Amino acid sequence: MDKILLKKAFPQWVKKLQSYRLYAPKKDGDIWTYETVTTPEEIDLEFLTTALSPKKIIFPQREIYFAFEKGEENKPDIQESLPADDPAIVFGVRPCDAKALTLTDLVFGGDFEDAYYWKRRKQTYLVGLSCNTPPSTNCFCLSVNASPHSAEGLDIFLTDLGDKYYVQSMTKNGNKLLDLAKGLFAQPKPGDKKDLKNIQAESENKIKRQIKDLKKIPPKLKGMWDSAFWDEEAMSCLRCGICTYMCPTCHCFDINDEVLSSFPLKGQRVRTWDTCQFPDFTMHSSGHNPRPDKASRLRQRIMHKFQYFVEKYANYQCTGCGRCITNCPVGIDIIQVLDKVRDYGS
Amino acid sequence: MVNVEDLRKEAKRILKEEKVKYVIGYERGQNGLMPKPAFIKDPDDVDRLIWDPTCIHNLAKFLVDEKKRKARDKKPDERPVGIVVKGCDSRAIVVLLQEKYIDREDVHIIGISCENNGVIDEKKVTKKLKGKRAESIELDEKGNFAITAQGETVKVPADELLADRCLECRANYPVIYDLLLGDKKKKNIDAPFKSLEKMESLSSKEKWAFWDEQLTKCIRCYACRSACPMCYCDECVVDTINFAVTADTTASEKAGKIKWVEKSPVPSENFVYHMVRAMHLAGRCIDCGECERVCPMNIPLRFLNKKLEKEAKELFGYDAGFDPDEPSLVSSFKDEDPEDFIR
Repeated sequence: MDKILLKKAFPQWVKKLQSYRLYAPKKDGDIWTYETVTTPEEIDLEFLTTALSPKKIIFPQREIYFAFEKGEENKPDIQESLPADDPAIVFGVRPCDAKALTLTDLVFGGDFEDAYYWKRRKQTYLVGLSCNTPPSTNCFCLSVNASPHSAEGLDIFLTDLGDKYYVQSMTKNGNKLLDLAKGLFAQPKPGDKKDLKNIQAESENKIKRQIKDLKKIPPKLKGMWDSAFWDEEAMSCLRCGICTYMCPTCHCFDINDEVLSSFPLKGQRVRTWDTCQFPDFTMHSSGHNPRPDKASRLRQRIMHKFQYFVEKYANYQCTGCGRCITNCPVGIDIIQVLDKVRDYGS
Repeated sequence: MVNVEDLRKEAKRILKEEKVKYVIGYERGQNGLMPKPAFIKDPDDVDRLIWDPTCIHNLAKFLVDEKKRKARDKKPDERPVGIVVKGCDSRAIVVLLQEKYIDREDVHIIGISCENNGVIDEKKVTKKLKGKRAESIELDEKGNFAITAQGETVKVPADELLADRCLECRANYPVIYDLLLGDKKKKNIDAPFKSLEKMESLSSKEKWAFWDEQLTKCIRCYACRSACPMCYCDECVVDTINFAVTADTTASEKAGKIKWVEKSPVPSENFVYHMVRAMHLAGRCIDCGECERVCPMNIPLRFLNKKLEKEAKELFGYDAGFDPDEPSLVSSFKDEDPEDFIR
């Protein structure tokens, strides 16, 4: 369903949606983050790449699985704590971040459906925004099967046409959100469609960074497991978790029991983000660590995204948002690493 | 500004004479202005080395890496590594020497003086350029930064773009070196702890509110710990796993490991993490500002360490990182040390 919404009517639409928990990009000092908002005035859609993607809403860094305590006759008393019924709308989702959720969907919806992820996923509606201008100088979505104007994974997709938005509803949930404010949306005119096409074509031209011949890289990686390449590339790595924690597609986690009281025993089982870049991620209880150094951990990050994931799901586990490049404290640049992989030994 | 050719010449010499295993310096990153650490092994590669006010990283961290790498190597190359250091970075090396983490013969230090100035804060540059991408930043003779962005060059007074720590730097030239490039001249700083004044004027309640807001943002990526040359412990209290585990460690020993900090990024645990880090850096932090620079959530971590630097100075007259032969603050005492803070 295609519609037109005047920008000045945007606040009225948001007002009609206030029964939902609303999220939008907010500026905090020098960075943008998705935060809850209560009034339309707080929503600013002129934003740059956010520090964390909306992944943090669907797959929060901390998720409580259940609470436990010692019950009667020393039997464990366990209360599962699935996320509450609390539908949410996220405004200003970038196409790369929406596509990223379609990738984490594959992981959390495979042989085993993750109830916690899906409870949040199904009650979170995504209102996307086309990237008419790349929100980061490190955007490279076009190289990894993504695009600045793709609506994949979104419920509603907005494209800024100056004083109005071109509104595309992609799902039933999207239609529902538009129906709540029927009078505000007009039918697009042929001129609007033409403007949309032009803006979309222009937006592609504005993306400056790319990975050339990416198709050649997964098969190449397959033969590079033991390569000295990784030692060289990882020399400057600090082994922090920025690249993976900021990544919209990284989804690894750890599970711990957080004991709140020992006598009587009481606590919570909690899932938190974890990353292959931390040395303890693969540490065995024997003391053996199969990924003992920075080289093996950098290799894991690249291999997972551009080889294992491709083999398993026929897609790259990267949507070109550029966060890992922008935020790496030592300038490790995934595009540069992949360029070198492609040309390695030739 | 120091001529980069002098740096390249020295790097070439020590590599050619096989005096060092490799040279750690700066090279231009592929994307944009900011450089990245370079590890040069071949004397013919020294032209990759750069020196300008964007060379912000504290490369001393890689000496910690080198020590760990060497320990794993059955037949290690015993030659030192060459390293390019600024004043602050050199003070980090002094602390590593004081703590006997590295030996003087492990390292060949090429010191570069910041000569009256320092390095830029990338965030300040980004703000100044309002989205334009800078291609180069140079210091002119009048102490202004000349930024070239999209063909145009603008001049900006240095103080507007210098990293906060440079504005309070007490020695912007290397204090230890095998070769010094540039002069040991520096600007006089009237108030070396000026950045703390506002924070110190707040009430406890206001301070708590400030840090509660800031530390709630922490995502525990541990970039601050990872970038810090003083954070070299094999095992950190915040990690859930004991790295000292061997095949002989018993199950009850493993189970008995105390978990001081939960992995959950909630305020209580984030506070413990950052307090532990700040306390462990008291009298050791040399204010290179790397923790704050690398933080992806923009938490002003430098305040914590700067405050403890001030405490060390005021209580014990101690300046971290100036004298490798001086005992370190927390592992020594003097009869005249004050004890009025012990209650």
